[in-house]
Amino acid sequence: MSAEVTLENVWIRFGDFVAARAVDINIRQGEFFSFLGPSGCGKTTLLRAVSGFLSPSEGRVLIGGKDMAGIGPNKRPTALIFQNLALFPLMTVWENITFALEVRGVSAARRRKRADELLELIALPGQGEKMVDELSGGQRQRVAIARALAAEPGVLLLDEPLSALDLKLRQHMRTELRDIQQRVGITFIYITHDQGEALTMSDNVAVMREGVIEQVADGNTIYDRPATAFVASFVGENNLLRGTVSAVSRAAVTVDTGLGAIRARAADSGGKGSLAVGDDAYVFIRPESLKFDEEKKMDNNISAQIHQQEFEGSFWQVFFSIKGSERKLKLSMVNDGSAMSHQPGQRVTLGFAPELAVATPAGPLAAE
Amino acid sequence: MIAALREAVVRGGLLTRIGLALFAACFFVYLFGPLVLMGITAFNSSAFPRVSPWECFSVEWFEVLRNDQTLVEGLRNSVFIGIGVVALAVPIGLAGALMLMQINQRVRPWYYTVVISPILVPGVVLGISTLVFWDRVGIMFNASHETFFYNGFFLTIVGQATFISAYSMLVFISRLQRFDPALEEAALDLGATHVQTFRKVLLPFLKPAIASAAVLAFLASFENYNTTVFTIVSESTLTTVLASKVRYGINPSISALAVIIVVVTLLGAAVFEVVKRREQKAARESEKVARGEVPARARRKPLLLDPAMFLILAVFVAGLGTVYFAGTVGVEECKAAVKEEKQRVAQERVRKLQQQRMFQRAAPVAGEGEGEGGSAPAAPQAQREDSSGFESIFAPQNLKEQVESGPPAAGTESFQGIFAPENLESQSGAGQ
Amino acid sequence: MALVRHLQNFFRRNGAALSVFLLGAVGFWILFMIVLPQLFMVDFSFRVNLPPPKWGTPEHHYTLEHYRYMVYGSAGSESSFNVIDLQVFFKTIVAAIFVTIFDVALCYPIAYYLAQVAHGGWARLMVLSLIVPFWVNEILRAFAFRIIFGASGVLNKGLMALGIIDEPYDFIRENFALYAGLGYAFILLMIFPIYNAIESLDKNQIEAARDLGSPWWRIHWRVVIPFAKPGITSGCTMVFMLTAGALAAPQILGGPSSLWFTQIIYQAFNQAGNWSRGSAYAIILLASCIALVLLLMRAFKVRLGEIAR
Repeated sequence: MSAEVTLENVWIRFGDFVAARAVDINIRQGEFFSFLGPSGCGKTTLLRAVSGFLSPSEGRVLIGGKDMAGIGPNKRPTALIFQNLALFPLMTVWENITFALEVRGVSAARRRKRADELLELIALPGQGEKMVDELSGGQRQRVAIARALAAEPGVLLLDEPLSALDLKLRQHMRTELRDIQQRVGITFIYITHDQGEALTMSDNVAVMREGVIEQVADGNTIYDRPATAFVASFVGENNLLRGTVSAVSRAAVTVDTGLGAIRARAADSGGKGSLAVGDDAYVFIRPESLKFDEEKKMDNNISAQIHQQEFEGSFWQVFFSIKGSERKLKLSMVNDGSAMSHQPGQRVTLGFAPELAVATPAGPLAAE
Repeated sequence: MIAALREAVVRGGLLTRIGLALFAACFFVYLFGPLVLMGITAFNSSAFPRVSPWECFSVEWFEVLRNDQTLVEGLRNSVFIGIGVVALAVPIGLAGALMLMQINQRVRPWYYTVVISPILVPGVVLGISTLVFWDRVGIMFNASHETFFYNGFFLTIVGQATFISAYSMLVFISRLQRFDPALEEAALDLGATHVQTFRKVLLPFLKPAIASAAVLAFLASFENYNTTVFTIVSESTLTTVLASKVRYGINPSISALAVIIVVVTLLGAAVFEVVKRREQKAARESEKVARGEVPARARRKPLLLDPAMFLILAVFVAGLGTVYFAGTVGVEECKAAVKEEKQRVAQERVRKLQQQRMFQRAAPVAGEGEGEGGSAPAAPQAQREDSSGFESIFAPQNLKEQVESGPPAAGTESFQGIFAPENLESQSGAGQ
Repeated sequence: MALVRHLQNFFRRNGAALSVFLLGAVGFWILFMIVLPQLFMVDFSFRVNLPPPKWGTPEHHYTLEHYRYMVYGSAGSESSFNVIDLQVFFKTIVAAIFVTIFDVALCYPIAYYLAQVAHGGWARLMVLSLIVPFWVNEILRAFAFRIIFGASGVLNKGLMALGIIDEPYDFIRENFALYAGLGYAFILLMIFPIYNAIESLDKNQIEAARDLGSPWWRIHWRVVIPFAKPGITSGCTMVFMLTAGALAAPQILGGPSSLWFTQIIYQAFNQAGNWSRGSAYAIILLASCIALVLLLMRAFKVRLGEIAR
């Protein structure tokens, strides 16, 4: 039975350290939901509060509409897949998979049957008698998933389960995880610091910084319409211009930067702290939104000097120096077969559309 | 060429290596010399444990050992106490280690200091404090002297367990440090109760540690003297019996006991080595399986069918047979010859003495000469030869008694008794 | 308040059954096996010596007489100090220190050899053969030394055969056997802490030092020994405490005219029937040993936490 998960004003403190700050989140049943953030942002702590290994200092955790206060991890309809998988090394594969049934007193014969079904599901048929250390990394991964699913949880919690795998396997497992989730149809809560994982697999993503949820939205929105400076700088690559708000209209704000006035879409910060005239603001422009614009056809124009060009096969990356900033601007363009006609040192004019630039209140940025 | 050698000496520390190897050789002579010499004395038919003069190769002292009632009783008590200590110290050590893993960081050093202190406190002090404490507790409860407060077994088990628990705790700590706490959480998360988690996840992981803690605890208890000698009250253990024997009179049956212990230990060490190698091999194999290099094998061979195991057993049995054969066949003849030789030497001496007397004709020694006259038995004379200094504390009658208590002709069936399966089992159990 | 919260957490973490087992076992151990017996012994040492039936009665009052006795002897004696007991005490401590030094000197090279030079099956064999002698009873080990050092023992026979001495030399009376036996008794407890410490030393550090032209003794002095310091201190602590508190070896190997301090304690209990004095002496032994060890640790700047691992 798939269940919905609600966090209501959850605070988690360890002494003076606040690991989670006023977290309010509603995860629909059957949803693939990710918590994305740099390490130490409190996402694992939140997961442990959902699975019951720690209780919030304040606020409530509800699973399937039921308050989980005072209910231990073994009584919750959740199953957790650990970062290191935590497979039992002294048990065979099938014993591992059916551990949840064993502790409920299910007979060995029925457990074996269930184990065979699950081994089928994870594409490891006939491997039940092996010991865990006789499996490869990817196989262990799938056994861990089967073990969690055997408990028939309403919610599956995954704590960076792919971080130990190599790149190729990781990408393969992304599709496989998503596939399994759609087949079993239960709620998945996924913890990661890898934005690629979060964006490709999830229905919704919560971006976290220092215990605070910065934005909850689907992958597209997170990427195209970041709510805060942190989200904009953490998810994907972004060019940053600093300035002061000089005008606010319904559709756009104008920010005075050292390179002239720039019009950009105001970030939707969910009602709290929207931009007003005189505020310090950041303007973010994706490298792929930046264009060469010698004729100044676009609404926003900046003059820059080409610093360096890098050819990456299907892409060109061009870096520019701009006045009054140490940061280089980056432009990326599809290699359409025409040769690059610019030279390093050349002065050019760049342009971008206001609706592709986002202005946020000045605030903390992700570490580079 | 010479320059190259010198270079090698200086750079590679060749000289240091040779020096170290020499030193190690000396060290191992110090380590094993006493035990080897003691082992040799077990097979010398001489009534006093010594290597020279060599009399006859004999296994009679094993027979004497087997018939020594006080030793057998002490051994029985030691085994009983050892089992009691295992039953008490292993759970306590386990609890102590588990507690250490989750105790508050600030209290932790204090806790550790307290529970580790029994290892450093002299055993004598532990014995005294145990004795005094339970005595006072007994008085508080107005208990009679038949109650366990005054019972040597109870006091010894509690006294020994005080520090043996700390040993077993150290064993558990080192195992627990390799335990992944996520396994416990995984079990809980999958719906196991705390007790189920403990039983199905933690306990199987700790199994090897429990086994080694139990062996360690048993051995430490079996070995212990300093604490036991205070707490044992009116009972006896192997060590207290041995100590009084060694202090008040010795014969080679004690060496024989040492030989048995060393053999059992070597056997245990050999088996341990085989088991360890099998484990390593199994680990390497499963790695290969994981990499897909070889298919998984169904089940491993049982330990007893391992060729190495077989070899060990064969060497053991063959050695036992050889020693037994050499030690029983022809011993009587040899001993008779030795006795004759001794008598001859003694008579020779007496004759010489008489000749001297005849020459000297000195009055003051005449009386003594009569006492030691021609008919004096040879055996005491031969013994007195050794009675300088060290042995003088052992009264001759003491020695004789022990010699007599062991039947000189070691019967086939009675000798085998020492190595009878049931005896061996209880000892090899200790030697694992 | 905080305690209640900790307890609640503890019970939630372990479940009721396991919590009761853990608290019960550890509580019994600490309270009834470690702390209270020591306290009772201290209490007992400050009471007058009475026959057991009168213990706990008002007559059984506090006194300092046993401690006074250790220093000044009985009131009627001629000398103003208890020369015999004090002599034995200091001899025991000094001898234990020398035995410890001997063991360090003996075991450090072996531990180094095992940890850094020997490898593979050879090292394993050496470790195993180190352990084997220590599975033999302490008393039997002492007995082996009697066989060697006795008047008709191997050593005397050997020396006489070589013509070095004409008459048996009394090694027992001169305590040679005792010191050899004590040095032997706790070798293992010296080797393994040092071995563990040196084993975790990166071989490259030694190579680097050698590469920089350091002679072998300086490598040890500047690289290996500082690194192995906790192990050495822990080995020394154990060996010293056990040697000073040894009873079996002195009883078996000690000369007829010399005593070890533990033997005096033993006599007070088993021969004189004076438990109070025995307790007082035991406390004096324990306290002086601890004081010495703490002094040693301070001198070598090692913390207690690093010891006994």
